[in-house]
Amino acid sequence: MTTTSLTTTTTAGRAAEADGRRRKHGTHLNGLPWILPAFVFVVGLIYYSVFYTGYISTLDWDGLAPTAKAVGLGNFTKMFADPVFWAALRHTAVFYVVTFTVQTALGFVLAAIMHSRVRFAMLHKVVIFIPTVLAPATMAPVFRLIYADDGMANWILRHVGLGSLAHPWLADGKTALPALMLITVWQWTGLTFILYYAAMSQIEPELLEAARLDRAGNLRTLWYIVWPGCRGTTVSLAMLGFIGALKTFDIPYLVTTGGPYHSTEFLGTYIYRMGIRQAHIGYAAAISIVLLVLAVAGALVIGRANRKGASA
Amino acid sequence: MFELRRRSSRVILQVVLFLLTVPFLLPLVQMVIGALGGIGWRNFVVVWDTGVIPTFFRNSAILAASVIAIVYVLSMTASFGFSKLHIFGKEVYFWLMLAALTLPEVILLSPLFVTATQLHLYNTLTAVVLPLAALQLPFVILLTRNYFDGIPTELIDAGRIDGASVVQTFWHIVLPLTRPIASAVVVLTLINSWNSYLLPLVFLQDRSRQVVTLLPQFFVGEYTNDQTKILAAAVMTAVPTVLAYVLMQKNFERGLSAGALK
Repeated sequence: MTTTSLTTTTTAGRAAEADGRRRKHGTHLNGLPWILPAFVFVVGLIYYSVFYTGYISTLDWDGLAPTAKAVGLGNFTKMFADPVFWAALRHTAVFYVVTFTVQTALGFVLAAIMHSRVRFAMLHKVVIFIPTVLAPATMAPVFRLIYADDGMANWILRHVGLGSLAHPWLADGKTALPALMLITVWQWTGLTFILYYAAMSQIEPELLEAARLDRAGNLRTLWYIVWPGCRGTTVSLAMLGFIGALKTFDIPYLVTTGGPYHSTEFLGTYIYRMGIRQAHIGYAAAISIVLLVLAVAGALVIGRANRKGASA
Repeated sequence: MFELRRRSSRVILQVVLFLLTVPFLLPLVQMVIGALGGIGWRNFVVVWDTGVIPTFFRNSAILAASVIAIVYVLSMTASFGFSKLHIFGKEVYFWLMLAALTLPEVILLSPLFVTATQLHLYNTLTAVVLPLAALQLPFVILLTRNYFDGIPTELIDAGRIDGASVVQTFWHIVLPLTRPIASAVVVLTLINSWNSYLLPLVFLQDRSRQVVTLLPQFFVGEYTNDQTKILAAAVMTAVPTVLAYVLMQKNFERGLSAGALK
């Protein structure tokens, strides 16, 4: 990287002064050149984009034409009157609550089971974690097939005597969104599981021992000792899931393209549809701004809840 | 966590675990069965014979390697600076970077699209590499700075007293100590760039420049009604990832967990 310009001209007096500072800051040498490349790169690219998005959101523009029409807050008033925008927000909220709850429950229970004496724990672990490393884009065609009329989902239902439930899952506006949630749960439970697994290793054995001596059953121990002990992990996962829900794009875009009739539209797919596909780049930028505000606000709220909980 | 004394309850727990795990396997089973439908394993031959697979893989490798290189160099130097050197207004810089932590990439779409077109970067890997790296960095720097904070400052002072320059200290003393976090960073960045879809979708139109996540769609275009070929392509994309995970299981789990926490 950049060679640093370090001051080596220290007189005796200065050295002593620097010595005092060294206690506080590690060393007295100027570290700015070390952080500047990363700082300029990140702040340059991202902040530039964010401010540019803010500017574009006041335009009626296709992104290519040399002239754009300034419309002020027009895009925003249009957005707040747009039922698809509200539907996308609703889907994101439902998606977040459901996937987070299911993943947390599943991941937690799986981690607890693996911490017990079970056979083939390693094999189970690998199987649960593999979906996490696979690209959603790679798996999308597989899931389209699974949910098809003659696909695996219906095949299983017919073979366990629930054939009456079988139908084309993705073509039905009522079941398309739950179907996508199931894909997400399949993909990310592995990560939830690994994190809880690690968190449970940190719980002091004495605590569990004490609970056993008090004749607390397995479920009581799990609920009163292990679950509170994993609180930090749960909060991290809540934050991760929230941002993940706001980011959702690959799966709805590739599996249902937001349909049928926008029933699986998310903010991400809608921004893409509006901005890139239909070239209403100003409108897409306005939705992006809302998404940005939600992401930052959500992170702040969950972060604060975390601090409050930690001090309580 | 479950302490089970009776044999019957142990068997029940094992069965519950099995029943909970099987659903994770089903999509993979469906993928392989589907890929072997119709003309069987020859689907793979047909897909391979299109000749595009090596190109897509090569592009993905270039993409991932470039993002990893940028993220690694910039995060290591920056974390060293943030953690061990004196910088006026250090925390302001740090928080300005961290504010970018929660950004969904889709927000960058409109401005990046406009900018890339104006700079003639549209349809180049650069247009994907730079934003991907920029989006990874805040997270990774948060991670590595925490790690650097755990390295005793005395080590660096000792190096300085022995007459080593800061660059030498960084290179010979600090970097060798950061291997565990470095492997987590590499794995995390590798998965995120290898699996990235939205930015390649928007910026890479030319087939000779596309990456593996765009493969299924390429084959959807080629064989609209032949699912078997599309799934064969999916299997070929998934196999290297699964292999890499199984071979470096610990690294992958640590890398992804590190990325999720903190």
